[in-house]
Amino acid sequence: MVVAVASDASSIFPPHVTDQIGAAIRDNVYDRLADMGDEMITVGDKGFTPHLAERWEWSPDSLSVAFHLNPRARWHDGQPVRASDVRYSFRVFVDPKVGASVSSEMANIDSVSVRDSLTPVVWYKHRRPEAFYDFVYQIYIMPEHVFQGIPGDQLRTSELARKGIGSGRFRLNRWDAGQRIELVADTANYRGRPKLDRVVWTIVPDASAAFAQLMGGQADFLEFVPPDQVHLLDSSKAVRAAPYPSLQYAFMGFNQVDAKNPSRPHPIFNDVRVRRALSMALDRRAMLQNVFAGVGRMSYGPFPRTLSFADTTLAIPPYDVNAAKALLDSAGWREPTPGAVRVKNGVPLRFSLLVPISSRPRVAYSVIIQEQLRRVGAQVDLDQVQANVSYEREFKHNFDAVLHAQFTDPSPSGYKQQWGSGGVPPNGQNWLSYRNPAFDALLDSALIAGDESRVRGVMRRAFQLQIADAPAVWLYDVPTIAGVQRRIRTAPMRPDGWSIHLAEFTIPPNERIARDNVGLANANR
Amino acid sequence: MGRYLAARLLQSLIVVVLVTTISFFLIRFAPGDPFSFVGDFPMSGAVRAQLRAQYGYDRPVPEQFLLFLGNVARGRLGYSHSMHRDVGTIIAGAVPRTLLLMSAALAASFAIGIALGALQAVRRGSWLDRATSGVLLLFYSIPDFWLALMSLLAFAYWLPVFPAGGMVDQVMHDYMSFGGRVRDIIAHLILPSLTLALLSAAGIARFQRAALLEVLPQDYVRTARAKGLGERSVVLKHALRNALLPVITLLGLSLPALVGGAFFVEKVFSWPGMGFIAANAIASRDYDLVTGTVIVGGIMVAVGSLLADLLYAAADPRLRAR
Repeated sequence: MVVAVASDASSIFPPHVTDQIGAAIRDNVYDRLADMGDEMITVGDKGFTPHLAERWEWSPDSLSVAFHLNPRARWHDGQPVRASDVRYSFRVFVDPKVGASVSSEMANIDSVSVRDSLTPVVWYKHRRPEAFYDFVYQIYIMPEHVFQGIPGDQLRTSELARKGIGSGRFRLNRWDAGQRIELVADTANYRGRPKLDRVVWTIVPDASAAFAQLMGGQADFLEFVPPDQVHLLDSSKAVRAAPYPSLQYAFMGFNQVDAKNPSRPHPIFNDVRVRRALSMALDRRAMLQNVFAGVGRMSYGPFPRTLSFADTTLAIPPYDVNAAKALLDSAGWREPTPGAVRVKNGVPLRFSLLVPISSRPRVAYSVIIQEQLRRVGAQVDLDQVQANVSYEREFKHNFDAVLHAQFTDPSPSGYKQQWGSGGVPPNGQNWLSYRNPAFDALLDSALIAGDESRVRGVMRRAFQLQIADAPAVWLYDVPTIAGVQRRIRTAPMRPDGWSIHLAEFTIPPNERIARDNVGLANANR
Repeated sequence: MGRYLAARLLQSLIVVVLVTTISFFLIRFAPGDPFSFVGDFPMSGAVRAQLRAQYGYDRPVPEQFLLFLGNVARGRLGYSHSMHRDVGTIIAGAVPRTLLLMSAALAASFAIGIALGALQAVRRGSWLDRATSGVLLLFYSIPDFWLALMSLLAFAYWLPVFPAGGMVDQVMHDYMSFGGRVRDIIAHLILPSLTLALLSAAGIARFQRAALLEVLPQDYVRTARAKGLGERSVVLKHALRNALLPVITLLGLSLPALVGGAFFVEKVFSWPGMGFIAANAIASRDYDLVTGTVIVGGIMVAVGSLLADLLYAAADPRLRAR
């Protein structure tokens, strides 16, 4: 199977993975001790299924869990997987010199000890409903015998970290930087041989070229079909659309601090009435229809609907231009003449909207937002920049408003990083510097809620509070629609990675083409 | 000739140093750094600060520049954070790919340009001359990325006769015979090289037409006709040969592009050459890779210009005599 992607993986070494391509490779080359399951329940260990660990048992005080490794598990170089590998992996993930992207989420894990060669024991500092998830979901197990001796600060540039020696159902066969990454089936894997022999990720930076490759049969799978091209798949005999859930949601965020002096509140967005008015001035449904036609899904709040604690019944400020105008009037922003830009104390209601130019939907949204806000007397200056410039400016608080697409974690703990007061950059990804102690307290409560229904209840209150604060206008769930050659039978595709069940993708023998039948003859052993 | 060559080499060295210095500072003054955005899940501020310190990007830019000069003097172009390789290795891999693409494009563009220019000159004022001029002007005016996209859509999507990008078939190439591999590369080469060729053939044809029109009324051409030579022989053997000089100059000026690559066309066709890696390096603020491509590109431009001068001298005996 050939997968067309826009860019290369920045890393496939688990602690350094920061993009979806790298995550897809990592998910298939390395293993976790257990998998979260398709329901994505992060509380307790109920939904988790065995991977490297055949089974596990909690201590009576719930402060440690002993994992029993599958004795048949082998690294791709043939060495057995041992408990010491689990201990080593934890140490690497929390080593500040390694700079793991998820190291902050390990705060509750005290240590890992080795009871015997097949039994690692994970020790926690505190009892937490998500303690199991904290370790098992975030930490991929890596071979100690391969990496030992390499200092933490040199792992990022180490050639060994690019070799991808894991225990997953696929082995890394080849990585030509900037061109392709090739996985081949690990035929003797302890979890069973994958149904595909070979999966090649080919780097096609131009979206139109990638789409042409899919339609021309050069590629079998395109992760993201642009919304405006989805209809072309419907009329194709060879290719079909395969929508899959996503953990990404998009919003127009209002910076709460002054772009020029982040220690001061933003001169316009500091007032919740202005934020609410701007939210009410936007016809989100019309924008969704305009940009995504039939494939868009409206956002119900600061979450994608795929989260286990998402709530689609929350009340969002309605689209009401007259109410928006009245609210702006009451906040002191008045039109000097009908149709002119509103002014308060000599300051015009004018701000810039930061937009990453690489996102076609967000660029389209920005133009409509500019026009819709003009009707209520707000002047929006579009600030279209490269994606990395956009992130840099958000990181430094250097923007007024931004069109942002946020990946979130399946757990409420991700919300602490993204919306909690402690997540304001440089500590986290609370780009808007949103602060509300009541919201923080609710997040803390969610993290200690003992079961999923209580988590859902607390998060509902947190979300409702956040919607009332209107730090952003919640626009849409980012639609993820893959294009797939019809001969490929996909397995369920999960929001946290379409390729998590890649080993279950298959091609019926009677539908195979030449490249499906080349076998593993040239695969490096 | 020796002093001339030495002077040209010195000039070239100054140009390379200046271009490298400018690019070094420009990319560092652009927003972001190699760690500002490396994917969908941004790094924490602490990790980013640690990495900046580890690679020396937190030091004053002039200090970084001195370190960089020291490394270049030792033949080290640095490390690419986006491709996780030594910059020298990456460029060494990309240059032959770009050379292949650009030489095919250059050969095709000169073949098309000279042929059409000569035809236009011989049929001056005819409908063929006017129609060819119009079509060539059209191609000359089209932006390269647009023509690349259109040719991709036309010949890889609507009428799928060529592959839609890449340099080889990613799965089957390794399983092909030697002949099959060569055919595979040629199949992938046709669309990008023809796109580039059509874009530059228009300029070449205009040069060729003008040069031939200047030569055709000359006495020696009239003499050739008076000797009873056929028109074909007069044009090809006597007139065209003498009208090639300006086109050879153009060829010399095009040589630097052989390694510079074609930024947009390489990107659209996923052709992994110098333009492709330079475009990705700039977007990902891969400092060392950006400056590395500029240095190598600068050297090649200098060498190309020098070659052009030498070629010109070889073609024109009057210049050799000076």
